[in-house]
Amino acid sequence: MAKIELKNLSKTYNKKIEALHDINFTIEDGQFFVLLGPSGAGKTTTLRCIAGLEKIDNGSILFNDESVTEDQPASRDVCFVFQQYSLYPHYSVYENLAFPLRSPMRKLPEEEIKTKVESIASMLKISNKLNNKATQLSGGEMQRVAIGRALVREPNLYLMDEPLSSLDAKLRESLRVELKNIQTNLNSTILYVTHDQAEATTLADKIGVLKEGHLVQIGTPEEIYENPNSIYVSQRLGSPKINILPGKLFGMDDVPTFGIRPENITIGTGNYSAKIISIENLGSETVVALNFKDQEILVSIQGNYKSSINETINFDMNNEKVLRFDQKGNRIYER
Amino acid sequence: MDTSRSYLEPSSFSKKLAATIIIVYTVITLIPISWMVMTSFKNVNSAISYPPEVFFEPSLEGYVNLFTNRSRQSQEYLDSLPPPENWYEELVRSREMVITGPSKFLGRYSNSMIIGFGSTFASVFLGALAAYAFSRFRVPLKDDLLFFILSTRMFPPIAVAVPIFIMYRKLGLGDTHLGMIILYTVVNLSLAVWLLKGFMDEIPKEYEEAAMIDGYSRLQAFFKVVLPQAMTGIAATAIFCMIFSWNEYAFAVLLTQFNAQTAPPFIPTIIGEGGLDWPAIGAGTTLFLLPVMIFTIILRKHLLRGITFGAVRK
Repeated sequence: MAKIELKNLSKTYNKKIEALHDINFTIEDGQFFVLLGPSGAGKTTTLRCIAGLEKIDNGSILFNDESVTEDQPASRDVCFVFQQYSLYPHYSVYENLAFPLRSPMRKLPEEEIKTKVESIASMLKISNKLNNKATQLSGGEMQRVAIGRALVREPNLYLMDEPLSSLDAKLRESLRVELKNIQTNLNSTILYVTHDQAEATTLADKIGVLKEGHLVQIGTPEEIYENPNSIYVSQRLGSPKINILPGKLFGMDDVPTFGIRPENITIGTGNYSAKIISIENLGSETVVALNFKDQEILVSIQGNYKSSINETINFDMNNEKVLRFDQKGNRIYER
Repeated sequence: MDTSRSYLEPSSFSKKLAATIIIVYTVITLIPISWMVMTSFKNVNSAISYPPEVFFEPSLEGYVNLFTNRSRQSQEYLDSLPPPENWYEELVRSREMVITGPSKFLGRYSNSMIIGFGSTFASVFLGALAAYAFSRFRVPLKDDLLFFILSTRMFPPIAVAVPIFIMYRKLGLGDTHLGMIILYTVVNLSLAVWLLKGFMDEIPKEYEEAAMIDGYSRLQAFFKVVLPQAMTGIAATAIFCMIFSWNEYAFAVLLTQFNAQTAPPFIPTIIGEGGLDWPAIGAGTTLFLLPVMIFTIILRKHLLRGITFGAVRK
């Protein structure tokens, strides 16, 4: 495993479309780093640049303080788990897992390959599928094999591009837990791309938020959640979504916009009154949508909430949790 | 109303109609071929008898005549010879002839094999490399280059026969195996590039990227990951290339004589040697048909999927 450093990384496609702009970050050895952002933000491009699949225009990529900027993908010794199409369809599961070990870069003896493949297969619970063709597997099994093909090696870095996004919700959750366990046990360095906030918060040691090719904030999941530096970042995490409201409505004339998370609003008492638009019972929590001066406000309440639509109700906000933003959507820190 | 089938399925009448048309078409196509095979097993007399014989006593005379050169001898001379050593000598002597040596057929046939398979391999191999490059890399003037490659097929190849003839004479490529392989490869290459590019486009580039990250160079990834998945296209392309170079007649007549002559220009020469030897011609054409037939049957499984390329992909 290695420490990964990106310095002033820039990438432009076709000399016109700027995909990445001056990206700087460091992934410490053994860290689980998650890149977060909507599609088109440059997450995948970052991964592809680190893997060497894309040539970068500017900047450098360092593995353990050594530049690999000019190296071929094969010699960078990284693993890449793709979103899809990840298995070689003409090989069996065993051959798929053995493929990286047979490469001219490694050329392990057949005995060792066998041991490694079998131990990974049992770890991922696919031992009984080793002789199947890759195309005969279910989606979850395929993705396990794809992750397994990455884990048979001990590379400098694992790159994972939304590896769980093509799976159904239940499987995604169980693989997510498995992945975190594996990472903790092997102490591996992982750069993980997702737009699923649950994956980001549960897996990450550090999160980097990308916006249109710019890295706008880096921090722990808590920092990104509690202390976002812009409206954009605040909207990346949290479900139900953060309420972004004009300051004027609440008598904050010096604040153009502010954000408040649904769990920081209380219902029942308070200075403001609003009409209930909808009530969504999610089991452990209830999401209530309010209409306050034609603005929709989402409120999250622990447990069940009994009320009826169109009822008028009072609410209050936890002022300490209000995030203030300026005209451009950047955070206003001082009061 | 018949409700036992889905609306998308053809009615049983249209299925029967389709089956009938296919059977009629198959019979029509197969009649000349089966007649040719039958002729190859007739003797010279029954081959030209009128009305034509459908049931006849099979004979290998045609095949013996195809593979041997013979000369007619007087009965006295034949009587003076020692008794025939094997069945084919006996057969020839019963026609008052002796075998003077093997014919050129075997040599022409193996020329056809070498040139046919050689040029097919070269077309598919070079075509696959070019198609891969066109499919994956940013080639300058890609569309123009592809059109240029296609344009080489817009005229009948024989239209450039004279320049090629002169070129080959100057280069010493006339009547050589290499020359014919190059020529057929050049003609087939445009088809190969275009067909294979379609197949390469269908293969997600993630596969070779994954292989490259797994420690392989691009070329190794091409052979290990891309080629096996392009098998469908390769099989289809190989069959088309093989059929062309195997059947090609005009250039073979023009450019080959002794050394590298293929079977197509040779078979008609049988007609000239002592009357119309239809069984020998039938034998020659039957044997000539076999390799392409076997080749196609071997690759048939891939071909069927290949023809529907783009429609369904696993």
